[in-house]
Amino acid sequence: MKWSQFFNTSIGKKLLVGATGLFLCSFVLVHLVGNLQLLKNDRGEAFNAYAAFMGHNGLIQFIAWGLKIVILLHAFVAIQLTFSNRAARPVKYAVNPGNQTSSWFSRQMAIMGSILFIFIVIHLAQFWAKFHYGDMPTQTYEGMAQPLKDLYAVTYDAFQHGWVVIIYVISMIALSFHLIHGFKSACQTFGLNHKKYNGLINFIGVWIFGIAIPIGFAIIPVFIFFQ
Amino acid sequence: MEHYNMNLTLKVWRQKNKNDQGGFETIPAKNISSEMSFLEMFDVVNEGLISEGKEPIAFDHDCREGICGACSMHINGRAHGPWAGTTTCQLHMRAFKDGDTITVEPWRAGAFPVVKDLVVDRSAFDRIIEAGGYISINTGNAQDANNIPVDKHKADLAFAAAACIGCGACVAACKNSSAMLFVSAKVSQLALLPQGHPEKDSRALNMVAQMDKEGFGSCTNTGACEAECPKEISLTNIARLNRQFIGAGFSSEK
Repeated sequence: MKWSQFFNTSIGKKLLVGATGLFLCSFVLVHLVGNLQLLKNDRGEAFNAYAAFMGHNGLIQFIAWGLKIVILLHAFVAIQLTFSNRAARPVKYAVNPGNQTSSWFSRQMAIMGSILFIFIVIHLAQFWAKFHYGDMPTQTYEGMAQPLKDLYAVTYDAFQHGWVVIIYVISMIALSFHLIHGFKSACQTFGLNHKKYNGLINFIGVWIFGIAIPIGFAIIPVFIFFQ
Repeated sequence: MEHYNMNLTLKVWRQKNKNDQGGFETIPAKNISSEMSFLEMFDVVNEGLISEGKEPIAFDHDCREGICGACSMHINGRAHGPWAGTTTCQLHMRAFKDGDTITVEPWRAGAFPVVKDLVVDRSAFDRIIEAGGYISINTGNAQDANNIPVDKHKADLAFAAAACIGCGACVAACKNSSAMLFVSAKVSQLALLPQGHPEKDSRALNMVAQMDKEGFGSCTNTGACEAECPKEISLTNIARLNRQFIGAGFSSEK
């Protein structure tokens, strides 16, 4: 079987979705750690220095563009699979089992993924595009030769609006629901289903990626709003 | 357990043939014993329909002891009805109460077209088996027992996978109409044993290719198949199929 055939099979496509999904899981972890610097009460010194580093380091920029391709690939293949999966049942059941046979989260991957995709577009437009291509205020800190782009202030401004905070919190709920099933599911797709590791996979998938990380992200806009 | 009689209302899918649109028909089922199997209840209803000069409800059945995989009905939204690890023929009417309305539908999947009423064409499964679900040994006498050592644990796993009766409940239960549980059981049962091991790579590749060709959906790991399987085939088989398929795909030279 050639690579082109392999990645065109149902399992091959699922591997693409799973691999890109796990890469995105590693990204959200790193992204959260960086963003938590927004909660520091230092006029944005740590966060802005971090943003400047992330925005100019060649390797980070290379990964950042790769990340956008990965998001598009994840979405594209997942949408393709979703449509072919729907097409596999042309006549629907009159009565469905609901939560009796599968978890609610596992059946909402496409809808949660779509919410997240829209969120990512909004989020990039709001901060990434502005940081790289828009008008940015600057801030000078003691001991620094040049002023830094003040992404910290832009973020604080953005989260003064209640509706922005609500969009972010809803999106993080979608992230939670997506990852509660997504991490475990990706492991199963890679064939990792073993008594000795299932407990750990479940813990990481549900509690770390599904609950702790989305809460960590959601705290930031809520905290800033009530500052 | 107390024996009781009940009157039920059946909402049954009626469809004359493959090309007919089909629709639900409401049929009363009177004086049904709690000790009947679900199929025996259908027999009683069909006797009534025949005596009224109506067309009886067509449904698949054969052994009626839960081992052949012929019976195939979606009962109140559940493949093979509400009991876990049970085929429709082993589902008994004590699962229902007097006055219940029971909705009965055929398996719904593009790869399983309805032939008539509750009967679907499951020959897609046969074609998947033809694609590699066998061992290519054509001649010769049976070997002496214990000529080939088999690890007990692996033999048990292979036996558990071989319990699959190919009824199609996994496809029927899956929101994607995926046949992964079926294919994984067939692949596992052979690959785990020394006799099936030599052909494991081509088997995994060919059976998955045929599965896709038949128009089954892909697996999103919801676990509905495992929950509905009358033989309680485990999801670990799907993980094994994935491992075999990945290994075979990465190493195949063709």
